[in-house]
Amino acid sequence: MTAPDPVVAQEAIEYCYEQGWTDGLPVVPASRPLVDEFLARTSRAPEEVIGRVEQLDRECTVEQAAISAAMAGCRPEYFPVVLAAWDALMLDRAARGGGWQSTSGPSPMLVVNGPVRQELGFNSTGGVFGPGFRPNATVPRAIGLMVRNAFGIHPHVLEQATQGLPGRWQICFGENEEESPWEPLSVSAGLGDGVSAVTAMLLRTVEYVDNRHTQDHEQVLWDLADTMSRTGALIFREASYGLVLGPEHAQLLAKNGMSKQDVQAWMIEHVGRTGRDLRRAGKSAGEKHVRGASESTDGDDEFQRFLPSPRHVPVVVAGSRNAAMSMVVRVFGEWSGKAVAVEGTA
Amino acid sequence: MVEAILDPTGGRRAVAQGAAVLTPNRLKLAGATIGLLENTKKNAAPFLAELGRLLVERHGAAGVVARTKAAFAMPIPEEQLAELARTCDAVITGVGDCGSCSASAVADGIAFERHGIPAAVICSDAFIVTADAMAGMRDATGYRYVVTPHPVAVLGPDEVRKRAEEALDDVVAILTSVAS
Repeated sequence: MTAPDPVVAQEAIEYCYEQGWTDGLPVVPASRPLVDEFLARTSRAPEEVIGRVEQLDRECTVEQAAISAAMAGCRPEYFPVVLAAWDALMLDRAARGGGWQSTSGPSPMLVVNGPVRQELGFNSTGGVFGPGFRPNATVPRAIGLMVRNAFGIHPHVLEQATQGLPGRWQICFGENEEESPWEPLSVSAGLGDGVSAVTAMLLRTVEYVDNRHTQDHEQVLWDLADTMSRTGALIFREASYGLVLGPEHAQLLAKNGMSKQDVQAWMIEHVGRTGRDLRRAGKSAGEKHVRGASESTDGDDEFQRFLPSPRHVPVVVAGSRNAAMSMVVRVFGEWSGKAVAVEGTA
Repeated sequence: MVEAILDPTGGRRAVAQGAAVLTPNRLKLAGATIGLLENTKKNAAPFLAELGRLLVERHGAAGVVARTKAAFAMPIPEEQLAELARTCDAVITGVGDCGSCSASAVADGIAFERHGIPAAVICSDAFIVTADAMAGMRDATGYRYVVTPHPVAVLGPDEVRKRAEEALDDVVAILTSVAS
């Protein structure tokens, strides 16, 4: 193969910048033959509408998704995962509504389950929130380019994130099913074991919990709950916090007889703050479901639980078994509770 | 053969070009019924209620019809638009003080105008770019709305009333006159 002409490649990349199509990083200029390779990976028609923002009168088709996936640097075989991720996101009420325009600047978190992880090389172990793996990096980027280009939601214009979440279009990983003591997230979300699937939720923040010097599982639970009980990200009366448990934490909990459901129940019971703490943070009262300030000391001694149901505490296992660390992820709105199977896989 | 680079936008720019389209039927405030469409954002309801009160007290409006938009990020449902258009002579809507609600408030204002009902949208100055972008998407570049300083959500009751009073002249100008 003759080495390609870098000057032509650079011109094509600059052309995409000039059109306003990029997220700030260079994109792969999408050609007809390349996009056709993506479209060949799905049985869905190119003109099928897979998402619509009613308020903007814009929609996204399978063809536009394929162009965005190509531009994001996906390989054609990733395309069914991109479509499943998009469908999973469209189950989210905020993503169908104004979530992409929100001042909170939420990021999708995409969790991949099943054999497709190995087939495509998704990272599910060390550094799952970090860079270095093409599918993990390019699948969520494709979603960001679809929002930008198909929906026309650009920063500083229709997208009004005050600060946004670091890694806004970069959070995608495989669940470490091999080292998880529990059933995969996709199975909790209603699909069969061994089915390749994507689960999606929107995040407002991500915070690590480093607890590697105890064998007391209750201490670990308290540490996780304390991080989940912060007032900063609390805006509504109720909240949703996911746990991305490192394998060591998950295995410690399981060794002490806890199922995933037990962990969720423990968090529902213990995650919250006193009325006094909430009053100090200006979040003790509020109209309707939004929290606001109040001078009243009524209820100061009352412990307010934040998590109303197990679906508000999704639990997934990812990362390496080399230190006992986990991540608390603050879910924006509410997880749909449903996973979407990847087309054409087991 | 040279391949074309494919366009991911479906051939559409983020913001279309167009012209502001207001109903030429501007309002005589005396005896008019004013719809107040609050969008559930903090302080939106008292802000609009105070504007309604001032329009009755100072401009002879007959009264108000207060309604709530269920989903602040989404355009007003057809049924609610039809109901307000049937029962009111003009509508005030807002307050646009978030990324999606500012855009959808402007979309609602334009929808009312195209339905023949003068409408005044209240939007915080932090979201002018979003509001203007939405006007462009609705082919109504240059659409006029009422700008109030950001923030609105944090204000106390007296401050909200003061804010409404400051916005009153602009609301009246938009509802009663086509000229900018």
